Amino acid sequence: MSEVAAPPSTTTARVNRAAWYAGSVLAAFLVGGIVIVLLGLNPVVAFESVITTSFSTGFGFVETLHKWVPIVLCAYAFTIPLASGKFNIGAEGQLLVGATAGVALGITGSDLPPLLLVPAVLIAGVLGGAVWSGIAAFLMVRFGVNEILSTVLLNFVAFELIDYVASYVWPDRGAGHPATIPVGENAMLPGFGEPAVHAGVLITLLLSVAIGLAMRSTAAGFELRATGANPRAASVHGIRTSRLTAGGMLVGGAVAGLGGAIEVAGVHGNMLEGMQSNFLILGIIVGLMARGNAVAVPFVAFGIAVLEVGASAMQRSAQVPIEVVLIVEALILLFLMLSDVLRSKLGSRS
Amino acid sequence: MNEVVGFLALVIPAMVPFVLAAQGTILSGRAGVFNVSQEGVMVLGASVGFLASFTLGGNTIGLLVAAAAGGLVGLILALATTALRMDQFVVGLALYFATLGLASLLYRVIVGVTLEPPLIELLETYPIPLLSDIPIVGEVLFDQDLVVYFAFALSFGLWWFMYRTSAGLRFRSVGENPKAADSLGVNVFRTRVWATVAGSALVAMGGAYLPMVYTGTFTEGMVAGRGWLVIALAFLGGWRPHYVVAGAAFFAGMDVLALRAQVADIAIPHQFVMMLPYVATLIVMIFAFRWARQPGFLGNNYDRESRLSG
Repeated sequence: MSEVAAPPSTTTARVNRAAWYAGSVLAAFLVGGIVIVLLGLNPVVAFESVITTSFSTGFGFVETLHKWVPIVLCAYAFTIPLASGKFNIGAEGQLLVGATAGVALGITGSDLPPLLLVPAVLIAGVLGGAVWSGIAAFLMVRFGVNEILSTVLLNFVAFELIDYVASYVWPDRGAGHPATIPVGENAMLPGFGEPAVHAGVLITLLLSVAIGLAMRSTAAGFELRATGANPRAASVHGIRTSRLTAGGMLVGGAVAGLGGAIEVAGVHGNMLEGMQSNFLILGIIVGLMARGNAVAVPFVAFGIAVLEVGASAMQRSAQVPIEVVLIVEALILLFLMLSDVLRSKLGSRS
Repeated sequence: MNEVVGFLALVIPAMVPFVLAAQGTILSGRAGVFNVSQEGVMVLGASVGFLASFTLGGNTIGLLVAAAAGGLVGLILALATTALRMDQFVVGLALYFATLGLASLLYRVIVGVTLEPPLIELLETYPIPLLSDIPIVGEVLFDQDLVVYFAFALSFGLWWFMYRTSAGLRFRSVGENPKAADSLGVNVFRTRVWATVAGSALVAMGGAYLPMVYTGTFTEGMVAGRGWLVIALAFLGGWRPHYVVAGAAFFAGMDVLALRAQVADIAIPHQFVMMLPYVATLIVMIFAFRWARQPGFLGNNYDRESRLSG
């Protein structure tokens, strides 16, 4: 699992690595382009809309920022436990339970003033997500249950849970698809500018800085990374590894839960089936592309948000199925890892 | 009585996707390769199996093409983790994403968006002469489609191979202690490659069975987490082919129960019934991880030149 982290680097090694990574991204797009040509469509038109949609209009850019938020948060939900060597594949379940908690408070507490209700909704989301990953953390530490399995299975439980909440507890009968009634106006995150960017973007930005600092410069961050690098050595040196890995899972779930609450209070205004979109997969892709590096996560996530917003535009402009972009993203990931292997092989030979 | 027989007769085919995919998981796992791309490979198998069956005609061809597609994915995983020693989980996850995308893409390109989904013929049952005449047992076990018989024969064959042949003993040693296996002259890499290719082919066949026995068409959500449950099943069965069959019966029973409860008019909201397989698996895993054994070198790559390998 230590292979997930990139090797330590000097300046020349960094430039070298950047060149290899750029090559990997290009190679993935090249394969995607070949697929598009094989479909009998125009790859130039397709990739032009993939790359430019986010930057050609204000709406496109705001949409990209709004997509960026859950992707970053799901990526942290994956990378924070990963630092201690644990795979959290449950970000979507944690996001949905966070959204459920947020929507519950937003509906029942709609009389409260915004100054009170908005933070309460977000905190509810954080707690909801932490409870959900906490189940997996407890099973892992107490009974040794593999965390990949428990977090994935809890996703499926969460799908049914939100379906129940949206069909029986606060159903919106007119929606024609499982969805809750809207939260009160006072629960909504304030927006800035025109077209409006919701405050969740700012919160995510600040949180990214905080997580980056915490992972690099605090004792907890160091111990988390030490546990991931060599659990036995860490425990010999007095780090309580099981408490730490459980803590990593809890924080990861909390961050995903926050993402769910922000989606409710910033984007949808209610909770609806399918709101988790493909954020789990994108979060994992981002986390792996960033090699678990907390500082790199927001930047990589922005790139992926651009691709995702561009993907739907591509489907409209070039009739290329949206799945091509998912395949390109998976290929970027594979080629990045491949480039590390090839680089070290070539390096050791010269 | 009839009610019970009818229920059991439904459980048997519901076991097939679990049995095939879990035996595939075990096959690669016993060689030390922990495949986590099952969910995606099963969706790919369902898509490719349906499409091949629809365009070329015939479910047998569909199953074979699905197996070939799964084998190809397995080959990528095997080469990446043996020759290149890339992280097994990470490559597995990347392949999960890629196969998920590929499955939808292929369906979209070949079938497109239609009001009425195209249908393939469901698998026919072939009652086995004499055996199917046995009361109850015959109806439950010997009046099924050919894939059911194949899945059970395969499970028996795998058990025989692993525990009753010397080749099987050498095979298992690769997943337990590759360095020891290597020093005895077992080709660790070659064993891992074929086990992963064959295993992934079986996983894809497990997916391809779904449209052929339930819906007659492909939908994106039809695998519904079975690929992940199968990994749980492998742990639960201690990575042994015979225990896995018993575990598959439990998962299949849950499946049929959840389907039945959805149709039947009961007081509990159906969402809670649908949660049942996942919650039950979580609870069972608490016990499974206490007693079940797993291959000693599962999930780790073998490096001949490293002192840490084995």
